[in-house]
Amino acid sequence: MNTLHDLRASQPRFQGLESGHRACQGCGQALAARLTLEAAGPNVALANATGCLEVFTTTWPDSAWRVPWLHSVFANAAAVAAGMEAALKMQGKDIKVLALAGDGGTFDIGFQALSGMLERGHNVLFVCYDNEAYMNTGVQRSSSTPHAAATTTSPAGIARMGKRHLKKDILSIIAAHHIPYAATASVAYAADLRKKVRRALQVDGPSFLQIHSPCPLGWGHGSELSVEVARLAVQTGLFPLIELELGALVGAMPIREIHPVTDYLKLQGRFKHLFADDARAREELAHLQALADHNIEVYGLQGKAPDTLDSEGADSVRRGGLRSA
Amino acid sequence: MPVMTPGGFAYPGTSLAFKTGGWRTQRPVHRLRAAPCHVGCPAGENVRDYLARTADGDLQSAWEALVAANPLPAITGRVCDHPCESACNRGHYDAAVAIHNVERFLGDEAIRSGWAYPLPPVKTDAPAVAVVGAGPAGLSCAYHLRRLGLNATLIDRLPAAGGTLRTALPGYRLPRSVLEDEIARLLTTGIRFLPHTALGREVSLAELQRDHAAVFLGPGRPRPRPWDVDGRTPRDLHPALVLLQDWVALGTVPEIRSAVIVGGGNSAVDMARVLVRTGATVHLVTHEALPAAGIPHETAMKAALRDIRQAVEEGVILHVEHGVHRLILRGEKVVGVELVRMKKLARADGHYETVPFEGTETVLEVDQVIPAVGQEVDTLGLEALLPTGGLLPVDGFGNLPGHPALFAGGDARLDARGTVSGAVGDGYRAALAIHAQVTGTTQELQGEPAPIPVGDLTLNYFEPVPRTEEALLPPEKRTGAAEIATGLSAVEVAAEAKRCFSCGECMACDNCWTYCPDLAVLKTREPAADGSHYLFNYDYCKGCGLCAHECPVGYIAMEAESS
Amino acid sequence: MPQALEGSQAIARAVALCRPQVVAAYPITPQTHIVEHIAKLVADGELHCEVVSVESEFSAASVVLGSACAGSRAYTATASQGLLLMSEVLYNISGLRVPLVLTCANRALSAPLSIWNDQQDSMAVRDAGWVQLYCADNQEAVDTTIQAFRIAERCELPVMVCVDGFALTHTLEPLELPSAETVAHFLPPYRFSRTLDPLAPLTMGTLVAPEYFTEARHLHHAALLAAEKEIVAAASDWGAASGREHAPLVRVEDVPKARIGILTLGSVFGTLLDARDQLPDPPVRLLHLRCFRPFPVEALRAACAGLSDLVVLERAIAPGADGIIGAEVRSALMDMDAPPRIHNFAAGLGGRDVPLAIYPRLIEAIGRPHARMSPIDIKPELLPENAPSPIKVPS
Ligand SMILES: Cc1cc2nc3c(=O)[nH]c(=O)nc-3n(C[C@H](O)[C@H](O)[C@H](O)COP(=O)(O)OP(=O)(O)OC[C@H]3O[C@@H](n4cnc5c(N)ncnc54)[C@H](O)[C@@H]3O)c2cc1C
Ligand SMILES: Cc1ncc(C[n+]2csc(CCOP(=O)(O)OP(=O)(O)O)c2C)c(N)n1
Ligand code: SF4
Ligand code: SF4
Ligand SMILES: [Mg+2]
Repeated sequence: MNTLHDLRASQPRFQGLESGHRACQGCGQALAARLTLEAAGPNVALANATGCLEVFTTTWPDSAWRVPWLHSVFANAAAVAAGMEAALKMQGKDIKVLALAGDGGTFDIGFQALSGMLERGHNVLFVCYDNEAYMNTGVQRSSSTPHAAATTTSPAGIARMGKRHLKKDILSIIAAHHIPYAATASVAYAADLRKKVRRALQVDGPSFLQIHSPCPLGWGHGSELSVEVARLAVQTGLFPLIELELGALVGAMPIREIHPVTDYLKLQGRFKHLFADDARAREELAHLQALADHNIEVYGLQGKAPDTLDSEGADSVRRGGLRSA
Repeated sequence: MPVMTPGGFAYPGTSLAFKTGGWRTQRPVHRLRAAPCHVGCPAGENVRDYLARTADGDLQSAWEALVAANPLPAITGRVCDHPCESACNRGHYDAAVAIHNVERFLGDEAIRSGWAYPLPPVKTDAPAVAVVGAGPAGLSCAYHLRRLGLNATLIDRLPAAGGTLRTALPGYRLPRSVLEDEIARLLTTGIRFLPHTALGREVSLAELQRDHAAVFLGPGRPRPRPWDVDGRTPRDLHPALVLLQDWVALGTVPEIRSAVIVGGGNSAVDMARVLVRTGATVHLVTHEALPAAGIPHETAMKAALRDIRQAVEEGVILHVEHGVHRLILRGEKVVGVELVRMKKLARADGHYETVPFEGTETVLEVDQVIPAVGQEVDTLGLEALLPTGGLLPVDGFGNLPGHPALFAGGDARLDARGTVSGAVGDGYRAALAIHAQVTGTTQELQGEPAPIPVGDLTLNYFEPVPRTEEALLPPEKRTGAAEIATGLSAVEVAAEAKRCFSCGECMACDNCWTYCPDLAVLKTREPAADGSHYLFNYDYCKGCGLCAHECPVGYIAMEAESS
Repeated sequence: MPQALEGSQAIARAVALCRPQVVAAYPITPQTHIVEHIAKLVADGELHCEVVSVESEFSAASVVLGSACAGSRAYTATASQGLLLMSEVLYNISGLRVPLVLTCANRALSAPLSIWNDQQDSMAVRDAGWVQLYCADNQEAVDTTIQAFRIAERCELPVMVCVDGFALTHTLEPLELPSAETVAHFLPPYRFSRTLDPLAPLTMGTLVAPEYFTEARHLHHAALLAAEKEIVAAASDWGAASGREHAPLVRVEDVPKARIGILTLGSVFGTLLDARDQLPDPPVRLLHLRCFRPFPVEALRAACAGLSDLVVLERAIAPGADGIIGAEVRSALMDMDAPPRIHNFAAGLGGRDVPLAIYPRLIEAIGRPHARMSPIDIKPELLPENAPSPIKVPS
């Protein structure tokens, strides 16, 4: 009897995504997907867009999934999910359908199908694992890549400071579909993430979750830093954690101690060029700080008093585990 | 060999066949590290452990964990200067855990509930050890000998056990009932206690050595050290220790209108407070500075800051970094003293020297000068070992060099801490060494492990929680022996215990389990062999280091993989 | 009892008789009427089905893929640009071995833009791994649609039913619709063997490394080849059930002593039949390649036995190469003992009318030396002066 094997089989959580997947060390997306599945439970069916998650979980004959899972192509996760949902509805089955996609499969190539699915009101949760570039093809810029980040197609050099354009404000676009529930989450706030998955699955109709998922390879940070980097994205205001219902802001995780964006940027190779002694680098740093300040203002992120659900409180742990999650 | 399936479908969970552990260049391991509170506690308490048990609501097991090191928690919870709290990592975050109050609460609970000390039954044929002096050092040594299965004969020349705690510690800090109860309980554990038995009078050291496998000496320093200014002393000089002993025993002191007390230790401060209670005007003059962060131990007052503060609240006039330069005498009677500013300065060789600053002299008019400048060992019965005024030089386990079966600890030893917890720790370590010697095993003398620094914790996962301060009797109500510190309630104690970061030890918070992207951390139902609640599944762990980085308590270390 | 129905409506009714649970489509001429009719049947309560009005054909294909994998019978229809917009998903559906039925209302591909009929669209996805069946008339379209579901479900392959846009979809013809019971009996309820089911979860759409990919492709290829048997069986079983049997693979309309054959796909076949009635000499064997995928090599050889010449008339062109079907026919027949000479022409591109008069021109062309394939109905006077002259064909 293999005791570790038995122990694995009796873990007090749903392991919809198993070990043996081939994600890089410290992959934020693998973590995010694992947490998503834990919260969603076994009564689901998944449609997965092409991308890292798809590739690293399903190298035939191995599959890391313990739930029904279908990958078709890069752009159509939302539509495939819509079809699944339509079928299950017709069959009278109460199985929750999730579409999973990277930022490329959400912001860019998969965007039309996503918009259509939302507009038609399918009862589908679309989860975007936002690692801010096309990672599976080797770190090319996407419309989710942050301003000034270097990627292989927005490299930094003498003439350029990384990506010239801004990160697309996907959530506002999603909000314009007036769907019942849309939110952002982060791997650094696991309990919040799980809660949002559950909320999204409770609504009847389309829901959307954008999960900030650091990529050690593409972002150029140590594999042990994925959670720390994600946490700083929240604490700087660069990645606000917010919730929208029918397009209206209903919740934002307050930041207790706002960090300067440099705390976040300096941990990552993709922003390394911004720390050169260069006037343009300084300008871009100021620009990124301004973007964070803007988020803080627009979403009212500055916490007024310490709160158990703010950026410091939401991740606190206690002896004996996260009983609340 | 896999066989191709229609459309290339795969079966669920089959990735388990792919062992990603092969990618690893470093592996996470559980590494229990010493908590600063433990390293800081002279009695060697495993604070983290009993705080955890207290947090879990298991008070009796918390107390048992506590008395595994210190059998006098109701006492130390009140009088210890708690260096554990100064060391507590939480102090770098919001405020140290109020460890002493948890300790006190558990001690009181044990007395109230009558919990028995967890000791093995007495075996009459077990080797017997003699312990001289029933102060905290001797009591602790005798107790630990019993705990280790040996028999202990404890002698004291006084009619009752307790040593200085009984003879000099004022009741407003250590109520007599607490002292009586805790010591009485301790003495029912099978320790053979012989009062009225003075070494050098009723029994000699040689006799003790003859009849016992080993002897522990804990005679304390019961004699006030001589004091004068330029060779002069007033005729009616009362050393603080003697006045305090009177006050503790009889509740009275000679009538004094105004006094200067010289010294910065517990005796000085307590003397001052006792006199204030009798209506005197009291000046406390000390070379040393107020204890504070950054002030070297050598130059700080030895009394606890808590007690100094209370003394000031009560009306004691404090003159730190001052010294008595000159006695102003009328005949042999004091009418005043000349003070001068002084400072303890480090010399090139590292030693401190007290330097007076000329031109800073002032005069205080008082009718008494009371020295509280330290105490000495009474060499009665120890003449063979000590010159007058000498101290017992011992190794880290209390062994007297050249005397394999002779041990010593507490105030009587050289470089003693001069505190109850220090004495308890000395007794504890000596008992271990005696046990090893008597049973023919070896007791490794280990250097203190380096405590886990606050930087090795991941503080994001903790929330500031204000430390609960116990209520103090308001100064106007502090009369006689009424206890000042009121302690914490059960609810407050539980809350304090929960504030513990569990530095360096797994607290089953689930973080590694939550954050491993590879499900390579498995949670166990029963505690795992290492006491944690998790196992690493190295078949799948890729060695990313996330668990180690995010472990709030610094319990996971990454080790290079030996390829 | 025959009733006069527009082709699209007939196809819609045939689809409805097959009881799909999900239909997803996007409007494009000339397919639009089909889904409009289905939507109306649903609106009228005659069909219990989820109609997903998607935002693109790409999503239409994706939706029906999702539905089929989730265990429902699903259907879509498209044409032309829409089919090409689907193409990525079409390959994916077949590679996953998912049973689906798609009606392609054949139409030209842009540019230049044309909304009219030819078969360039379905030819463009001929290697998408789908079964492709072509219909000569609307009765056949109805019957083929019903058979298509059975073939798809038995073979775990998607089936594309090709009907000429306008020529069939928009034409009123008298035809027979089977009863619901007949269809229900022929096409029982179905459960996909790899249905996405939380109680028996499977992973579909994996990454297959080079060490295994060839085998995956081979299995797909073999499944298509094996589908021929099911296509034949479906036709004969449906013949028994409905009383109408269509040739499953190659329809042969022979006349005695025919040494010349003309092969085509789709509605032009009807035109050729009419023309031959008017011009019985020389005797010509007319062949309708109903089943283009899998390519029925054996049936085709049998159908061509005894022919000296075979004209392959296509409704599409492979620019820069020759005909699409012509090349395949040529290679299929090459190993015959006495293969016919192949004469390959295109006609009716972008909706150009294919009149009866084309028939004698095809026969005449046989006597000419072989040339690269070209549209036989080209109008040289419409070409600019410096354009390379078209291959001369009799006018
Ligand atoms: C006024 C005052 C206040 C203090 N306050 C604090 C405080 O708040 N916190 C703190 O930690 N510490 C305090 N201390 C210090 C603390 O009391 C001592 O450090 C501690 O008691 C030392 O313990 P010990 O066992 O070594 O010696 P003691 O407690 O002095 O006990 C020695 C015992 O040995 C006995 N003995 C001596 N010679 C012989 C002999 N020849 N034969 C038999 N028996 C003998 C004595 O009778 C005595 O019972 C205070 C001390 C004083 C004087
Ligand atoms: C139609 C199409 N275009 C391009 C690709 C190549 N491709 C595969 S995954 C990918 C990027 C995926 O990026 P994203 O969605 O952000 O997921 P990630 O890998 O970053 O998790 C690309 C460009 C493809 N598979 N299909
Ligand atoms: S937080 Fe707890 S374990 Fe850490 S030093 Fe303080 S009391 Fe000890
Ligand atoms: S988080 Fe998981 S994979 Fe990473 S080092 Fe820890 S156990 Fe290994
Ligand atoms: Mg990405």
